[in-house]
Amino acid sequence: MIEVNELTKVFRKPIRGEGLSGMAKTLLSRKYEEIRAVDGISFAVPDGEIVGYIGANGAGKSTTIKMMCGILTPTSGSVLVDGLEPYRKRRQVAQNIGVVFGQKTQLWWDIPLVESFKVLKEIYQISENDYAERMGFLGEVLDITRFLSQPVRTLSLGERMRADLAASMLHNPRILFLDEPTIGLDVLVKEKIRLAIHELNKTYGTTVVLTTHDMTDIEDLCSRIILLEKGSILYDGPLKSLKNRFGNLKTLTLTVPAETQAETAPVLSPDVAVSEDDGRLVLRFDADKVPLEQVIQYAFRDLRALDMKIAEISIGDVVKTILEQQEAEHAEKV
Amino acid sequence: MRYVHLYFTCIKRSIISRLEYKKDTIVALFSFFFSNFCSLAAIYFILQAIPALAGYSLYEVGFFYGFSMLPIALDHLFSDELWLVAYRRVQEGDMDMHFLRPVPVLFQVFAETFQPEGFGELILGAALIAVCASNLTVTVSFASIFVLCIGAIFGAVIITSLKVAMAALAFIFKRSGPLLQVIYNFSSYAKYPLAIYPAVIRALLIFVIPFGLFISLPVDTLLHGAHNPWLLSLAIVGCAAVFFALGVWVWTLCERRYESTGS
Repeated sequence: MIEVNELTKVFRKPIRGEGLSGMAKTLLSRKYEEIRAVDGISFAVPDGEIVGYIGANGAGKSTTIKMMCGILTPTSGSVLVDGLEPYRKRRQVAQNIGVVFGQKTQLWWDIPLVESFKVLKEIYQISENDYAERMGFLGEVLDITRFLSQPVRTLSLGERMRADLAASMLHNPRILFLDEPTIGLDVLVKEKIRLAIHELNKTYGTTVVLTTHDMTDIEDLCSRIILLEKGSILYDGPLKSLKNRFGNLKTLTLTVPAETQAETAPVLSPDVAVSEDDGRLVLRFDADKVPLEQVIQYAFRDLRALDMKIAEISIGDVVKTILEQQEAEHAEKV
Repeated sequence: MRYVHLYFTCIKRSIISRLEYKKDTIVALFSFFFSNFCSLAAIYFILQAIPALAGYSLYEVGFFYGFSMLPIALDHLFSDELWLVAYRRVQEGDMDMHFLRPVPVLFQVFAETFQPEGFGELILGAALIAVCASNLTVTVSFASIFVLCIGAIFGAVIITSLKVAMAALAFIFKRSGPLLQVIYNFSSYAKYPLAIYPAVIRALLIFVIPFGLFISLPVDTLLHGAHNPWLLSLAIVGCAAVFFALGVWVWTLCERRYESTGS
């Protein structure tokens, strides 16, 4: 159980001039600018849930995660992980959480992977039995047995990420924080990692907080998402309702004869947006407003479509739309 | 007890890391012997050039030099990681992993590296002491040996504590290596008898950055019976306790200011 209440993190940075003379002035000036990386957010994650924590680069995702796992101390507000504040009771909380930062490995670089695990076994005081059981489970779901005796520095990115994931799960944490665990990985490894997270959640009821830019991760794993932008929460709720936020949006991609063009095509309704993409026509509409059947008829009869593909709006498109709207609003205010 | 066990597990890890690169290990071994040989030669030439210093004979100065190596070597064995913390690791946000583990961060820093090079300095210092002592006529008493042991061991505690406090400042300034370097360099002043310095520096080396307290004063006590060995021992242990407490206090205070880096 994680409870986040009015959590805020402000970084103070000196206002810098440019170039050498600017830097020299910075040394003497006492001016600081405040960067509100996380700005008064509140949410709770119940046990056993997998939450997707998404947002653009610099939205404050990693900063929140770092406060939840005890690396950073909040400027104000609070985080409670199973009732404890991670920055005050760091050691107790650390025993119950596992953390992976996709960008930084936490394994020792030049020793064989299995030696890293042995040190972690001592650090987390894992019993022989538990260790054997966990290694069995992780060896299977993450497929790490093959490269256990290799030094971490010789592992490929995909192998290293699986190793990092295994290291974070070794002490059977109740909560797992994964900060971009699939970054830079190929489709197959991503798939493997998703399966492992799923398996872990199912087998041990582990709570997972996951940040990612890969919407497939979100769709495969998370029942709930929290969308963050400029340090504030834009959306917090089930994946489904976010998808339906703009109605039941559908996209029809049509292969049409050369004479059919977007500008000259007959109009069905102002609610159906027609555009051209690489010689194809793309129709975007809300199926709750304009029935799908009607649009299909229109496509074949009026646009003389030869072939068509129907797609639901992807979660990525929704997030993109929301962020674009935000940006436009922001621009208007300024 | 748990931490003793954990310390040895981590140290084993550090040594495995060292041995992982075969050629590197051979180069390290070679350079270790070479650099120690060089410092021995340097000491010899320095002592040759200054046959007597402020009334101290060649072998007495050599004894000072040899003894000053002991606490420095002991500190070197256990706390070398602090240099990396001060110069690089905080600035690069590389301390994250330590904050995620259910063990004190400072403990993990100590357990991160063990520098066997320290043994070489220890042997070298002891050898220099032995050679010089055999050429001196001093009345050795249990008390004077005792105060030397106290000076070496608790002197190491004082050096390490100073390093901890200076390295901890990196959490606030992002980089505190140069500061740590300045403080650490005071140890080189303490390699010579305090008598050669003006009163101000002497006071500084005894009361503020007390390298003189645990290096020069015990040696003076052995060679010339300058101080009461029991009282001096007490002063050194007391000073070490204060510095140790201060070092850990500064570290815990600064640790909370860690900002990591963006990712």
